[in-house]
Amino acid sequence: MLDQNSSSRNEFWTLLAKNLSKEANSEELQKLQAILLSNPDLHPQADMLKEMWQQRLIRNNIGSEAGYMRHIMKHKDEFFVEENHIEPDSGDAVAEANGGFFRTLFSKKRLTVLTILVFLILSTGAIYLFTQKSDAKLPAEERISSIVTKNGNRTKVVLPDGSQVWLNAGSKLDYDHSTFNKELREVSLNGEAYFDVIKNHEKPFIIHTKKMDIKVLGTVFNVRTYSDEKISEAALINGSIEVTLKDRKDQKIILKSNEKISIANEEPTPAIKEHKGMPAKTDPLPIPQIVVEELKPNPSSNIIGEIAWTQNKLYFEDESLEDIGLRMERWFGKKVTIANESLKNIHYTGNFENETLEEVLSYLQLSKTFNFRLGNDNVVIY
Amino acid sequence: MNESEDLSILGGRIANDDQLAYRQLFVLFYNKLSRFVMGFTKSKELTEEIVSDVFINIWRRRKNMEEIKNLKLYLYVSAKNITFNYLKKLHRENHTDLDSVEIEPEDPFADPGAALITREMNLKLKSAINDLPPRCKLIFTLIKEDGLTYKQTATLLDISVSTVENQLSIALKKISSAIRYTFRHN
Repeated sequence: MLDQNSSSRNEFWTLLAKNLSKEANSEELQKLQAILLSNPDLHPQADMLKEMWQQRLIRNNIGSEAGYMRHIMKHKDEFFVEENHIEPDSGDAVAEANGGFFRTLFSKKRLTVLTILVFLILSTGAIYLFTQKSDAKLPAEERISSIVTKNGNRTKVVLPDGSQVWLNAGSKLDYDHSTFNKELREVSLNGEAYFDVIKNHEKPFIIHTKKMDIKVLGTVFNVRTYSDEKISEAALINGSIEVTLKDRKDQKIILKSNEKISIANEEPTPAIKEHKGMPAKTDPLPIPQIVVEELKPNPSSNIIGEIAWTQNKLYFEDESLEDIGLRMERWFGKKVTIANESLKNIHYTGNFENETLEEVLSYLQLSKTFNFRLGNDNVVIY
Repeated sequence: MNESEDLSILGGRIANDDQLAYRQLFVLFYNKLSRFVMGFTKSKELTEEIVSDVFINIWRRRKNMEEIKNLKLYLYVSAKNITFNYLKKLHRENHTDLDSVEIEPEDPFADPGAALITREMNLKLKSAINDLPPRCKLIFTLIKEDGLTYKQTATLLDISVSTVENQLSIALKKISSAIRYTFRHN
């Protein structure tokens, strides 16, 4: 018993403390092992303390984002007078999608950007811009600059006015470089992007998407537009933006801090898919409908789902496996097929940062069982 | 990549006016610094003010980021100095004493439902941590929750590394004895 050996007992706690806080050298680790070997009754306590120590790895940063917003607002003069600090660079080249860069940029831990974020989940913005801008003289292919990222990759580009754009996977950003920054700064987006727009009240910055246009004068926001998603969204963390809907041009919607607008992408479809034996899940957004709601972080994880990607997180909250499949496809750059219809409507919540596709699927398997087969560039869930 | 490499990359980006990086740094340390400062000020409002000061100083001096060798330690030392200055102004010098610091501990298990531990044990752990002497609790929290090294903790608190070592081993011993009873009845 350890109680009979008080010097080794005292040493035990010192060594265990060093072990847990990664201060122990190999000699000390060996000593600790030896004490544990001769005192098996200490194992449960040592294990418990180890387990407890591990917990700090999963701590979240509740309230930090809000704290940041208050901080920025308190010192806003120092954060918004930034017209000239970013060197404009040629945004003409199709940026080489570069996952490595983005991974460094948004390293493992939680992070995000500036004050104002706008998120859009929209569809088919790119094609729209091409048809809209055909009145200029040069042929479209010479006037339009495109920045494209493939699935599994993300990149950053600086626009000619100095505004910065981070592009998420499977996205495309277009702008007409013959008119950009003349009177307006117009871009169109299909996919998801995060914008840090240089302030310029003379030349409003407009993002065209399939379902809406978003006008800002100078701010930071994130845009997401994917053609295969059901809903378009714009979410604003702070500040205000003006949203014009494509099919209701007379109607402008002003979004204020912590508001989010959602618009259905598709035409009304009366039939709701029903799977055998499974109650049909009502479409979360009956079409066509516009919802403006408060943007708030998940109460338990404190993650704002809309901006999780800028923190290098693959995050989903009560989403169907079908939707998650799409997101994993883009995130990991591997084709995801769900071979079993009845699985598509199962809902999951998850938050992943550095996990591989296989690890993510293994976690999802824990809560509801399915099988998957992982190939080199695809995965089949069945 | 380890934390200090991560932080030095962040620091380099902040030096280049990268607000993304700045925000990341803020979010990483906001709660930790707030807990540390709160231990001395016992005031939410004052803590918010101090932590905001710590970070705005970083932003203002971002062009000289390379002078900061250890960004993490710098944040804590800066938080401590600003706190002590505030408290001096408010004539509350005695509150800068390490033995009067009141650190609010984290729950030992963030998600007790998921861990292999009973609710009863979680409560016992929590109250054992809470009952640690103030200085001991502060050192335990700085090392366990904030991930400071012994040396950083010693520098921050102006104490010796061996004091840190002793205090932490006392903390573990006390916490452990509080839960020993539970094991015996398992």
